[in-house]
Amino acid sequence: MRMISVVLWPAFLVGGIAEGLFFTVINPQELYLFGHPVTYSPLATYSIGFFAFWALCAASSALTFLLLRSAEDINRQA
Amino acid sequence: MSNNAAPRRVIPIVEVAEDSLYEVRRKVYPRAVTGTFARWRWTLVWFTQILYYGMCWMPWNGRQAVLFHLVERKFYIFGMVLWPQDVFFLAVLLIISAFSLFLFTAVAGRLWCGYACPQTVYTEIFLWVEKFFQGDRAQRMRRDAARWKPENAARRFAKYFTWAAISLWTGFTFVGYFSPMNELVDSVLNWQVGPWELFWILFYGGSTYMGAGVLREQVCKYMCPYARFQSVMFDADTLVITYDTERGEARGGRKKGLVNRDIASASGMGDCVDCSICVQVCPTGIDIRNGLQYECIGCGACIDACDQVMEKMEYPKGLIRYSTQNALAKHWQLGDIVRHIVRPRILIYSTLLVLVGSAFIWGLASKPALRVDVSRDRASLAREVEGGLIENVYRLHVMNVSEVTRRYAVSVSGLSGIEFVGEHIIEVPATSAQSTTLRVRAPADGKRGAHVIYFDVKSIADERIKVHEKASFIQP
Repeated sequence: MRMISVVLWPAFLVGGIAEGLFFTVINPQELYLFGHPVTYSPLATYSIGFFAFWALCAASSALTFLLLRSAEDINRQA
Repeated sequence: MSNNAAPRRVIPIVEVAEDSLYEVRRKVYPRAVTGTFARWRWTLVWFTQILYYGMCWMPWNGRQAVLFHLVERKFYIFGMVLWPQDVFFLAVLLIISAFSLFLFTAVAGRLWCGYACPQTVYTEIFLWVEKFFQGDRAQRMRRDAARWKPENAARRFAKYFTWAAISLWTGFTFVGYFSPMNELVDSVLNWQVGPWELFWILFYGGSTYMGAGVLREQVCKYMCPYARFQSVMFDADTLVITYDTERGEARGGRKKGLVNRDIASASGMGDCVDCSICVQVCPTGIDIRNGLQYECIGCGACIDACDQVMEKMEYPKGLIRYSTQNALAKHWQLGDIVRHIVRPRILIYSTLLVLVGSAFIWGLASKPALRVDVSRDRASLAREVEGGLIENVYRLHVMNVSEVTRRYAVSVSGLSGIEFVGEHIIEVPATSAQSTTLRVRAPADGKRGAHVIYFDVKSIADERIKVHEKASFIQP
């Protein structure tokens, strides 16, 4: 629950913003994936893009979460 | 073993208590409330939800009036069609929203949270459903205490079912703003909803259910960034919901004979009868008598509740009321509060809002009805063709932003003897774009390098709609 609220939730917000910025500038039909034009439907591209952004932001949040742990907290579990 | 061995140093390990990030949540059972502010909230629930559920069904010029068409990358808002090139307007709109929020917050606190935020609006609707099936606060608490008694379980599942139905419809409506409603309805009726459409319907519906049914005040307390920084927009002259401590304390229940206000006051009692109804009605479960807290979403439920009690006691209303920090401290009247609305912070926010707002409206009003992109075809080099002419190839992208089909005349100028092979008249349907390839030819003039030429695209029906676009012509 704590993980969800401090890692996934801020990542969701920022991922949404990133998605909006990215796709207002870039047309999903003009993207290339490993050198091949993207053939998914636009809606699929938008959705996959959103989850990719969300996952990346969540990774960043998770690192922050990890680095914020106090010394006692880390020692206690060892 | 020797007893002389130095005693082992014992490093005390301090037992750290598992510090949970958040306290254990006690379920809040908000009591239903009626009164001025509850009426305002319901008015806004109706207003925003009629807009939200209704707007996507409204037709306009043979299409959906409001549609953020993701596949076509075009936003339709009544008579206006926004293309990706207009993203600037979206940015300005966000700035306007932000300044409006700052202004409202500085004047009267969290008006947005209390009346218009979807979290509040859907919680209000879900609470109404809850009350319909399970009764008001006391009854709900009793029924939850015996949650598996058949009648209680049946009522609870009826509530879950209704919530789910509302959520699904909300999710469906949401997707209908991004994918044309008529196609969406067809696909639903034929059981052929695309996987992503279905996913987003369930995702948004699920979020509605979770937010309004399960998480409720936790969204405001733990998830909302605005709740965390709202205080920077507050000052001592901001209208907030306040408990008049001076008037209310010492609080306490009234025995018979102490109900009369003068008698109570003579015996050292304030106006607060400590009925705790202000706490029971609070959707975030706080006690407003402890002063302004970040959890307070400014819904005014406690004002409504307290006023009713004061009325019953025949005490003056407004023990809990909208007031400012200064007004309470300096015993200001309403007139003083109103006079203090005009202050530097408010003037700055208002000025910025008016400036950005006017620029936005001016920008929208003067948005061109035609856009043209010219790009030199990089795949084909400038080359010499018959008659000693030099040919460059261009791609002309004509975007008709207006809502009628238009025919455009294309011409090119800038070099003597310049002409082109390709369509001279281009017809572009309403709100769409057409690309065409033009082979532009000019006599070789001996001057090598890039020369500036101009493309003119003019609407045949309306001379005022025209674009003069620069391009470069390469002489090899």
